[in-house]
Amino acid sequence: MPHKELMVGNKAVAYGAMLSKIQVTSAYPITPQTTIVQYLAEFVANGKLDAKFIEVESEISAMISMQGASFGGARTFTATSGPGLHYMHHPMYGCRRPIVMAVVHRGGKSMQPDHTDLMAQRDTGWIHLYCEDNQEVLDTTIQAFKIAEDKRVHLPIALGMDGYILSYTAEPVEIPDQEDVDNFLPPFKPKYSLGTAIPYDEWKAAQPGGGYGTQEAWIEHHEHLMKSKKVINEVDEAFFKAFGRKYGGLFEEYKCEDADAVVIAMGTIASTARSAITQLQADGHKVGLLKLKTFRPFPGDELREIAKKYKAIGVIDRNVCLGSGGVVYNELRGALYDMDERPNVVGFHTGMAGKEVTPDHIKHIAKKTLGSLDEKVDKVEWV
Amino acid sequence: MSKPIPTTRIEPVEIMKPGTSSCQGCGHGIIARNAMKTFGNNTCFISVPGCIWITIQRSIPLYWTGTSFQGGAALLSGITNALQAQGNTETNVVAFVGDGGTADIGMQGLSAAAERNENFFWLCADNHAYMNTGGQRSGATPKYAATTTTPIGVASRGKKTWGKNLPFIFAAHHVPYVGTASVGNVNDMVGKIEYAKDIYGFKFLQVQSPCPTGWGFDPSQTVKIAKLMTDTGLWPLYEVVDGTFHLNYKPKELKPVSEALKPQRRFRHLTDGEVSEFQEMASGRWEELMKLDGKPLPI
Repeated sequence: MPHKELMVGNKAVAYGAMLSKIQVTSAYPITPQTTIVQYLAEFVANGKLDAKFIEVESEISAMISMQGASFGGARTFTATSGPGLHYMHHPMYGCRRPIVMAVVHRGGKSMQPDHTDLMAQRDTGWIHLYCEDNQEVLDTTIQAFKIAEDKRVHLPIALGMDGYILSYTAEPVEIPDQEDVDNFLPPFKPKYSLGTAIPYDEWKAAQPGGGYGTQEAWIEHHEHLMKSKKVINEVDEAFFKAFGRKYGGLFEEYKCEDADAVVIAMGTIASTARSAITQLQADGHKVGLLKLKTFRPFPGDELREIAKKYKAIGVIDRNVCLGSGGVVYNELRGALYDMDERPNVVGFHTGMAGKEVTPDHIKHIAKKTLGSLDEKVDKVEWV
Repeated sequence: MSKPIPTTRIEPVEIMKPGTSSCQGCGHGIIARNAMKTFGNNTCFISVPGCIWITIQRSIPLYWTGTSFQGGAALLSGITNALQAQGNTETNVVAFVGDGGTADIGMQGLSAAAERNENFFWLCADNHAYMNTGGQRSGATPKYAATTTTPIGVASRGKKTWGKNLPFIFAAHHVPYVGTASVGNVNDMVGKIEYAKDIYGFKFLQVQSPCPTGWGFDPSQTVKIAKLMTDTGLWPLYEVVDGTFHLNYKPKELKPVSEALKPQRRFRHLTDGEVSEFQEMASGRWEELMKLDGKPLPI
């Protein structure tokens, strides 16, 4: 029977990896990711997890060794934070192997969380999934392997979770039964790997990224990544059928039925926003929450489709693209540009360098977004 | 310790296809062809940017992959662990990497893999510089060598320092096998690969491959130059097996180093004094290595 345990986010992600029966793992310690490495080493040492643990000397070796292990036919997992993630950037770029990596957010100007670390990897061709609580962390880890290893996808996935707020905060988490996870996630059968032993010429011809050195290689990779959106939604539905929990796949609309405006939030801010939105609605404000779970591939078409329903959208960026502004704000405005009647898009930054985000902050953001219907808002606000 | 094996005696299966993209006279084809004959078909290999990648990329029809310059050892670590996780202990896991990917940018990851005693074979095709990008100096470039980043001029005598002693660095990691080889002595190289390939753990073989383009000699002279480098003691052939040092090739008398240095354009600016410095280094080292022969290294 599935049972509940009180656990911190780092333990939840390590449990997710263990239940997914990873075969090779490797990670280099960095705050606030460190205890993931410790939990995994402990699981291996206690015989609970039958996996090879490569004790690497750096993040870049962690990333590359996972690519080697995936090439060798094994299910692989790693984890890092902020500066460690930046150190992985080069080998992440263009990677086409179904690796799953937990990114415990740590911003560039503190050891506290913001999303600048993972946002800086937005062009690397990975799928980016953001989590708001520890249950979602565990469940998304399992979902991530299912998505990554789907033959239509075969791409690496980064799973974002806010440092400290999730990594070192205990919450009750339901641990699914191993048998149910095994049914949901069968053993890894790589499409192309050393273990598949298909004839060399066939293998070589089938290698993704075969167009290296051409513009077509970029087109193929981009289109391939965009197609994964369908699978992300499918896997979330399948997970719901198997375990009774779902997270929206690309995004989730929360209490948006009668809303004139919505607030877009990612990660733990979405969790805080749920209570703020509930209180605002009780006070008669017609505002809902749009939780963006999948940031890459960016669900631009899907957001444009639902944006018709709303008159204003407030975007909370727990990031800043220095020299440009909020990443989600700018990308959403780009995605909505072709609409005949566009909703107002109002931009906010908050939670940077771990700055506390309270329901009152969200209420302010939601009210200002609603207020844009009466009075134009043309400045992005740092809350 | 290993014994030289004539190439005619290894299984006559040609894995490497004829024709490579290497420069005329490049010794890397000799390394790759004979190494693959020795490793056999059940081999997975990797490479990182460098001349040896160019040599093998379209020539060896076996599973392989490459990665960024610094990542060879991490990539191999991943592969060998994945194979073990699946119960495969038969497949040879081999790196073909140059001296830059070994001595410089690849050193951190390789040192870590050696310390973990990862089960793979690291074959360093050493041509003394970043020849693939136009002959820039590397950590393996010898003193006084002219390279494109250590050119000779009124204020420069070429590279300022001796290259790193890679075999001793890796021997100091307590690994089961470390060796040196040369394209001028293929029987010795084949014997070493054949001997070491089935040892469990980290295997390191640095094969010297004189570079007609970068060292500056006629492409017909590659093997001759390689032989001169070993016959003068500039490139001693030895191995360290489980910590014990063996000198594999002991000419009765070493030739003067000038015989090896003179035909190379990169050394043509050397004064008599600088040649003497080379001679003292080579003779002194040879004397020390002779003393060590058959003994455990104090590491």
